[in-house]
Amino acid sequence: MTSATSTDSATDTAAGGASLLERLGDVWLELEDHLAKVPVLQRLDDGTVTLEDYLRLLFNLRQQVIDGSLWIARAASNFDIDHFELRAAAIKHAEEEHRDHFLLEADYVALGGSRAELRAGRKNVGSEALSGYLFTYASRPNPAGLLGAMFIIEGLGARRAAQWAARFQEVLGLADNQVHFMTYHQEADGAHTGDMEAILTSGLIDDATADEIVRCAQVVARLYALQLEELDR
Amino acid sequence: MTTTARAYLTGFGRYLPGPPVDNDGMAARLGGDDAVTARIRSSILASNGIRQRHYALDEHGEPTELNEELAVKALTAALDDRGIAPSDLRMLATATTLGDVLVPGFANMVHGRLGGGPMQLLSASGVCASSMAALDAVVSKVRLGDHPRGAVVASELPSRSLRQRRYDGFRAGMDAHFLRWMLSDGAGAVVVEFQPHPTRLSLRVDWIRQVSLAHDHAVCMRAGMSGDATHVGGTWQDVALADAQAAGMFVLRQDVGMLDDLAQAGIAQFEELVDIGLVDVRHLDHVICHYSTNVFRDVAFDALRRRIPTLDTDRWFSNLETRGNTGSASIFIALEEAWRTGRFQPGETVLLAVPESGRFSFAFAQLTVVAPTRPQGASS
Repeated sequence: MTSATSTDSATDTAAGGASLLERLGDVWLELEDHLAKVPVLQRLDDGTVTLEDYLRLLFNLRQQVIDGSLWIARAASNFDIDHFELRAAAIKHAEEEHRDHFLLEADYVALGGSRAELRAGRKNVGSEALSGYLFTYASRPNPAGLLGAMFIIEGLGARRAAQWAARFQEVLGLADNQVHFMTYHQEADGAHTGDMEAILTSGLIDDATADEIVRCAQVVARLYALQLEELDR
Repeated sequence: MTTTARAYLTGFGRYLPGPPVDNDGMAARLGGDDAVTARIRSSILASNGIRQRHYALDEHGEPTELNEELAVKALTAALDDRGIAPSDLRMLATATTLGDVLVPGFANMVHGRLGGGPMQLLSASGVCASSMAALDAVVSKVRLGDHPRGAVVASELPSRSLRQRRYDGFRAGMDAHFLRWMLSDGAGAVVVEFQPHPTRLSLRVDWIRQVSLAHDHAVCMRAGMSGDATHVGGTWQDVALADAQAAGMFVLRQDVGMLDDLAQAGIAQFEELVDIGLVDVRHLDHVICHYSTNVFRDVAFDALRRRIPTLDTDRWFSNLETRGNTGSASIFIALEEAWRTGRFQPGETVLLAVPESGRFSFAFAQLTVVAPTRPQGASS
């Protein structure tokens, strides 16, 4: 994977795929810079995070988790027959995720939170922006750029959620039953990430689509971090 | 690897019905003022050391409250102490020797009276150590992360069945008299949570161990059977109720000849905890042991002193003499008083010990006093 090969034509599918992954890797590094400035994650890192912080984080995530499988399903319905593989992948993905919020709710209740209050919650300004962008994008014909959104969101689940869970357990003395949502995502999103990388490197992605994927990843990375910055607002 | 949460006792409550009743007031309420009974009574009182106790009976010996009411009042006191409401509980475990009704379970009746929301229930049955079984259940579920918060209450109202009318018509021996002048009414409760109290001391539950030796011992404390062993046709459910009453089957009895064995078996169980390292005899700051009589206090204290020569009486807490022997409730009533009177400092350990004579059961628990680590952080 060198920068020389990354400029090769779209017909060089192997090089093109590698190039796309490299560009997404740069977006990921930008996201990590943003996450390092998120107050709740800073407190988690330095061990001053509180149970209240964890409850607020789950509360704020839940409102967006509900939307996750919905925009993926909408995207699935907008892939035409020429994009059958992407449609199949999206349908499978939506099906696998549409119960995830129940896991989050169980954790919230196991921590002493109220399920009724959780369900009555509203999205924070970051979640509003994120959901609005994703539903709008998913309404386009053949919204392949959303692979960039999945790269970011699944990547957070696969690479960061279990670390967060372990750290919350360590600092707050929590049982496994209280961090189910985050630990589950390490495995589930790890599998999704593997599926997606196969698609990204499969030769199905042309240069224009690759640009869309990278752009979408940039926007989603920023909005996801915004969601974590704007807890309860 | 499975990670569990910790369990902390964060709220303490008790309820003792009515005014304190001294030794003269006992006979007025329970009856039994004939010469023989009076002689047995004074002999038992002299050795058990109980000076006052409480009864849910008025001065004429008529009941004033239900057992489930005692339980709810102790629970309410514990919830108030913690600053939470019944609706904050996700589990309730109760212990009692005899509920007010045969069916349903005591926990169901207490939950119904307490209110709150949906919750898991457990009615631990047995005698004195059933309170520790109830505590163990809630602590386990909190550690697993299944529930953030639960409560345990142990409540006893034996006085109704200790009145003279239960003893009329048959010749009561020492086994029937013994408990009559020992037991009284009361309830104790604790709140269990996975986080320590946000602004004050909590008691972390380090471990709870309960063991039965029923395989090796006959029944000792009992009611509802004839003789000292069960057999088909020989329980209160097998015969006409009037016949069961006439045979004295509803009287609570204790085979007092077995009590020395009970004390020795309890000491052996304690020694085992020391041997396997659960009890660190170099670090035992408070001992709260439930016993029915000061005779056993001296036996138990001497046994502990063999392992802990430096153990002094200051580290030993009991309120048997002033609160009476309230069976399963005693350990929580003693813990509440030790807590409320400021005996505990951060870092200290508290050993709870509850021998149960029913059919030889023993329960122990170790608690550690912890300070609030993050006063601003824990949820209320």
